[in-house]
Order: sequence, then structure tokens, then C-alpha cells
Amino acid sequence: MRRRTLARGLAGFWWLTLVFLYLPLAVVVLFSFNSVNSAAHFADVSLRWYHQLLGNAQILSAFRNSLILAIVSSVIALVIGCLIGYGMYRHRHRRLGWLIVLIYLPIVLPDIVFGISEMAFFVQINRATGLLEPGLGTMIIAHVTFQIPFVALIVYSRFVGLDPTLFEAAKDLYASPFKRALHFLIPTLKPALISAFFLSFTLSIDDFVISFFTAGPESATLPIYIWGAIKKGVTPEINAIASLMIGAVLLAALVSLLFNRPRRR
Amino acid sequence: MVESSLTASRRRAVVGETRHLLFSVTPGAAWITVFLVLPSLYLMAVAFMTNGPYGLPEMPLSLDAFRQLAGFGFLGWSPGNLYTLLRSLWQTVVSTALVVVVAYPLAYYITTCRERWRPLMLLAVVVPSWTNQVIRTFGWMNLLAPGTPLSDLAESLGLIGPHMGLYPSDFAVTLGLVYNFLPFMVLPLYAAFEKLDVAQVQAAQDLYASPVRAFRHAVFPQTLPGLLAGTVLVAIPAFGMYVIPELLGGGKSMMLGNLVARQFSGGSNWPLGAAGAILMLLATFVGLYAMRRIGRRLGGGEEVVI
Repeated sequence: MRRRTLARGLAGFWWLTLVFLYLPLAVVVLFSFNSVNSAAHFADVSLRWYHQLLGNAQILSAFRNSLILAIVSSVIALVIGCLIGYGMYRHRHRRLGWLIVLIYLPIVLPDIVFGISEMAFFVQINRATGLLEPGLGTMIIAHVTFQIPFVALIVYSRFVGLDPTLFEAAKDLYASPFKRALHFLIPTLKPALISAFFLSFTLSIDDFVISFFTAGPESATLPIYIWGAIKKGVTPEINAIASLMIGAVLLAALVSLLFNRPRRR
Repeated sequence: MVESSLTASRRRAVVGETRHLLFSVTPGAAWITVFLVLPSLYLMAVAFMTNGPYGLPEMPLSLDAFRQLAGFGFLGWSPGNLYTLLRSLWQTVVSTALVVVVAYPLAYYITTCRERWRPLMLLAVVVPSWTNQVIRTFGWMNLLAPGTPLSDLAESLGLIGPHMGLYPSDFAVTLGLVYNFLPFMVLPLYAAFEKLDVAQVQAAQDLYASPVRAFRHAVFPQTLPGLLAGTVLVAIPAFGMYVIPELLGGGKSMMLGNLVARQFSGGSNWPLGAAGAILMLLATFVGLYAMRRIGRRLGGGEEVVI
């Protein structure tokens, strides 16, 4: 009897938590269809804010910046992270403690310290040499820095999961390191590379703090644009653009669910 | 003769291996060194410089920034910065504790459900955290603003003054932190619960242990690795949080992250901001170290992945 009330209580708690987790997102989506500009009063269903979105050049350019930043930084991080992950695996018997510390540093450093130290550094380099003008370039540099560790760790753990004799076999089969990479390393790494790329991509799209501090006047991404609009108190289209971003995340969740299903069963 | 050629070939192999190591590791190591280690070292140096007229650091080295951080200014001592520090600590402790209290039953409940539902349930907990932090916080601003049902309810209960709204306030910041970090506690706790040895719990129950004692002696030690991993994932980023206090808190609910950020934008004072950043770094590393120690002491052993 007591056990049953416990189970029922837990189930109730679970559903309550789900409400808690999804309520803020639901409110944003709901009010994106509001016909009047109010966060407290829902008047009528309309697509007004979505129409305005298409005419807002700033939002469109922020969207483009977000995409360019995510794609370029992920590609660079994929190449560099992959190399470092392979190096970590091949030389795992050596003492590589310093390398591990270096790789974990971007992960453990608080976002705000990460962003501010890069900003301060870039500003001073820029003052001294004129290089590293704040903008998409500095943002790409910053994003690659926090993406490298994740790519490296994914690639490394993929290698650790492989049979070590495979490497010997590949060495016997293909004489040149280049051919070995082309016919053995890259094909076996393919799933790891794909998931590393998507993780880097989402980390980049999702990032606000580090982007915010390394951005220039022309390189606002979507989160930075939204932040600015909230701060200025001008928010009519924010609900609409935020809803589209929430929709993209839900879509991604659905895709990941579909992909993971058959393997789990 | 034979011997020397052997050592020579071995040396060549070692050189080759080293070249391979350098070739594969150098680009990444150099990238992180140039674009993160050097900037952090520069920031640390800034903390020991003097604030120039334009907010940029200037030369004579001094400990002014740390004195300012402790509250000493032109007008004598003021407690503002100390309050900010204490508030950051307090918010971190309270929100972490609340996250633990919510996450334990959730993680346990997921393990009691049918196996085929569990991935979906975990996904349901994690998906909100995939959305952008700014958007999530904006959602809470909409929910807690004056005139919304939640604020009206709090007002009619006499919790807040009329037309106040639940945000901006310390409460809103705590709520935002709990919301933001809940998944990071549920996941490691779930992993711990999934490996839980049920026989121990049953043994405790057979010996007429009360639910509290059964939890304390049978469940808690087994889920400790998950709890510690979750605490690291929650408390350390919570202490350095910037977005949530900035949006949900306002000036009166500032945390250390906001204090630091402000020194690099509006009221420029880089050395003061850098001193705050050093404090944050210290807190991070002390926190990591402490969790590791506690984990070892309490027998979490190698399972505590930090």
C-alpha cells in the first residue's frame, strides 16, 4: 500500500517536472502567435511576427552569421581535433599528462573567464598589430578553441574501442601513411567524425557568452541579436525567432531518437 | 657493429614516433596554447596592473584591483562587492541543493520505468537544455513578469508587493539556475541508479530499516559517484553564471560573473574584472579538487569521473 502511494507520488512528480521543464518554452511558442505585442495578454492567433521576421535584415544577417560561424569553426575543429585525438591514442603509453590538462582546460574554464580573457587578449593584439579585428574571425578562433577538446575526446574514445591489431593489419596492407589514413582511419572513424561534427556545430550554435565577448559590431549571431533585443526591451519578433530555434531543437531530438532506436532494441 | 645498427634503427624509430606525435598533436596544442592559455595568463597579469584613465590596464604593478574587489574604493569601504561574492556562493549552494532534491526522485523514477521508455524519458529531460540559454531565460522572463498568472498568484498570496512581478529578483535567479542545471544532475544520478545493487536496499528493508535509513545506508553510498559528478557539473558553472543573473536578476541580484563582465564593458576597469576572474578560476579549481578528494574519501574511487 505504502509502496503504491510512493510510486504514484513519483509519477506525479515526474509529470510536474516535465511541466516545469517545458513551460518556459511553451510560453515563448504560444506568444509567438499572439496578434498583439504583449507577454501577459493573448489576444488572437496570428502569424504577424513571423512575417516581420522575413523583412528584418538584422535577424537574417544574424542567422547567416550563426551558420557561417558554426560551419567554419566545426570544420577547422574537426581537422585539428581529429589529429590530436589520433596522436593521443597512438602515443597513449607515453606520459601525456600535460596534453590532457591542455585539452581539458577549455572544458573546465568558466565561460565568462574564457570569453573575457580572449576578448582582452584580442583587443591588445589588435591595438599593437592591427590583426585580430573583433568580428567573425575572432569568433571562429574562440569557437574552434572550445570545440577541439570535444572532437579530440570523441575520436580518441572511438580509437580506444577498436581492436589494436587492426592498426598492425592496416600497416601491413597499406604502405604509405596517406593511404592508411584514406582507406582505414577515415572510414573507421566516420561515425565518430559525424557525431563530432554535429556536436561542434550545436556547441557553436548554442554558445552565447563566448560569442558575445569576442564578437565585433557587425558579427552578431542569433543569440546575440536576441540578447540585445531583450536588453533594449524591443521584443515583438523575439518570440517568433526563438520559437523557430526551439522547433529546430525539437526536430534534432526527434532525429536523434529515430537514429538511436534500432540500435537500442 | 650489429649492435650499433640496432640502436641506430631503434633511435630512428623513436625519432619517427616523436615526429608523428609532434605532427598530430602540435596544431591542436598550439591552438589552445596561443588562443586560450596565453589569453588567460594575460588576464591574470592584468589583475596585478593599475587601472588607466580609459579603463585599460597600465603599468605600475599593484594589488589595487584586489583591494577594490574587497570593497575599498575612493570613498572608503563599501560592502557591495562582498555582497556580490556572498550572493554568488549562496545562489550556488541553494540552487545545487535544490537541483539534488529534485533530481534524486526523478532519476530513481526513470529507473523504475520500463526499459524501452527510459531513453525517451531521459531525452525529455535533456531536450530543453539543448535550446539556447538566452531563449530559455527569456521564457522565464515571460512567465515571471508582472501581470502574468504566476506573479498574480504570488501577489494574492502576499509573497510580493502589488505590480512587482516575480522578476527581477534573487528568487528568479535561483529558479533559473535550477531550471538550467537540472538535466546535468539527473543524467549522472540516473547512471548511478541504473547500476544500483537492489539486493542491498532489500536487505536493509528486510532488517526493518526505516526508508530514511535505508536510503542513507543502502542507496546514498551507491549513488554517490553520480551525485559528485553531478555536483561538479552544476555547482562550478553555476558559480560563474552570467546570463541568468543578468536577465532574471538585475542590479540587485548580481553575481560574480556579472561583476566581472561589467568591468570589461560599460564601467571599464579591466584589472578589477581580471581579479574577479582569478577568484572564479580559484573557486573552479578548488571545487574540482575538493570533489575529487571527497569522492576518494567516501569510497567513490575510480568511478568518480572528473
